[in-house]
Amino acid sequence: MASRRRTLLKVIILGDSGVGKTSLMNQYVNKKFSNQYKATIGADFLTKEVQFEDRLFTLQIWDTAGQERFQSLGVAFYRGADCCVLVYDVNSMKSFDNLNNWREEFLIQASPSDPDNFPFVLLGNKVDVDGGNSRVVSEKKAKAWCASKGNIPYFETSAKDGINVEEAFQCIVKNALKNEPEEELYMPDTVDVVGGNRGQGSSGCC
Amino acid sequence: MDSKALRKKIFYGGVDHVLRKEVWKFLLSYHEYDSTQAEREYLAAMKREEYEAIKSQWKSISTTQAKRFTKFRERKGLIDKDVVRTDRSVPYYEGDDNPNVIVLRDILVTYSFYNFDLGYCQGMSDFLAPILYVMEDESEAFWCFASLMERLGGNFNRDQNGMHAQLLGLSKLVELLDPSLHNYFRQNDCLNYFFCFRWVLIQFKREFSFDQIMLLWEVLWTHYFSEHFHLYLCVGILKRYRLRIIGEGMDFDTLLKFINELSGQINIDRAIQDAEALCTIAGEAGADCIPPGTPPSMPIETDGGLYLQEDDVL
Repeated sequence: MASRRRTLLKVIILGDSGVGKTSLMNQYVNKKFSNQYKATIGADFLTKEVQFEDRLFTLQIWDTAGQERFQSLGVAFYRGADCCVLVYDVNSMKSFDNLNNWREEFLIQASPSDPDNFPFVLLGNKVDVDGGNSRVVSEKKAKAWCASKGNIPYFETSAKDGINVEEAFQCIVKNALKNEPEEELYMPDTVDVVGGNRGQGSSGCC
Repeated sequence: MDSKALRKKIFYGGVDHVLRKEVWKFLLSYHEYDSTQAEREYLAAMKREEYEAIKSQWKSISTTQAKRFTKFRERKGLIDKDVVRTDRSVPYYEGDDNPNVIVLRDILVTYSFYNFDLGYCQGMSDFLAPILYVMEDESEAFWCFASLMERLGGNFNRDQNGMHAQLLGLSKLVELLDPSLHNYFRQNDCLNYFFCFRWVLIQFKREFSFDQIMLLWEVLWTHYFSEHFHLYLCVGILKRYRLRIIGEGMDFDTLLKFINELSGQINIDRAIQDAEALCTIAGEAGADCIPPGTPPSMPIETDGGLYLQEDDVL
């Protein structure tokens, strides 16, 4: 098949149960928040048409179950991902401590061709809760973690109030495109790289 | 009591809601079919005491003790998060500070002590909510749920072996009952059947209304045609949509989305009729597709306990 400009961007949202993965996705795509989302079983995704630098993309956002016990399903759902969004709850230290696990598990199961440069974005969600008084993970601590993992972009969000959600996803789109090979951009009729190999770009940050 | 005749009646007609509270106890093997009224009353009293004893094990954990008991805090935290998002649109569970939500929580935490190896896993609250709604009694709901987990514990095991066995069985059934659909799935890298994961894990709980699911579950729990009737339901529904799946050339992602969006769209009576017909057509060959010990068959016991878990159980 001839290589064309890529129009589908696949993004995976990972993080502990109850940090707000489904809510973030729904706030971004449908501009809605509900207290009554059910725990995600298996996986689901929503799509949204996005424009980036005069190009149109279909952003496919995958929402997965947060319990570690279901991680073995990842193999089927993570493949072909262009960006991984890690989410924690700023009011839960455990959800922050688990970020390393989620990141590593993703890299194992998705096995991207260039794991060192695979784009991640970190979201600290639920900043609205209790006016910020129940917060246990500081912005400084989160940013230090991001710095230690190769400058992962970081956003503090509230899926409930819609704070920073749009900004975060714009960055996610940008990062999902980060590793797009140059030739795919400018030489639409060249032969596809064997194995669909992509992810040879340099690292960068929003 | 003639259990076969009763199960046949339930399979073909369900149970009037006022009778569910009694009938489900038999279907879930909490009560024996050949027990007497006196035996059942005695059992209920004994089991109530036993339940209270297990519940007191965690109720008596002090705040300072809990600080040093990470696994307890984490499990309880996970349960707390899930019960407030389980069937909250059903009047029995709706509204702030609903006491029934607390009972749901207490039963699940108690179960995670009763079966510490299996613990709590997402999806369990989906099973418990209708059971508690029907039983209207904490202890009886607990024991019915515990009985159900004897059969479905494999769905929630860390190694997911019960789920893999069922999805493999489903794959073999489709191969037997619809070879061309099977070929389509094979060619499109869909043979892991993960797109049916939610159907199988919580037995269609998210696909039907609360009232419909009570009916479907009692049909499944009769084990009248097969213990694995739910897998024939999967095959039947997939066959109903085979022309669209193949015609639209659905890949794995599209198929998953399509299946998820069937929620609320499936005609329950037709689905049960289709599954019954498929079960009859498949006969012995169908039963042979499903490995022994596949949930909800009773698990094959090993020396190491039923729910071998790695250390980092949650």
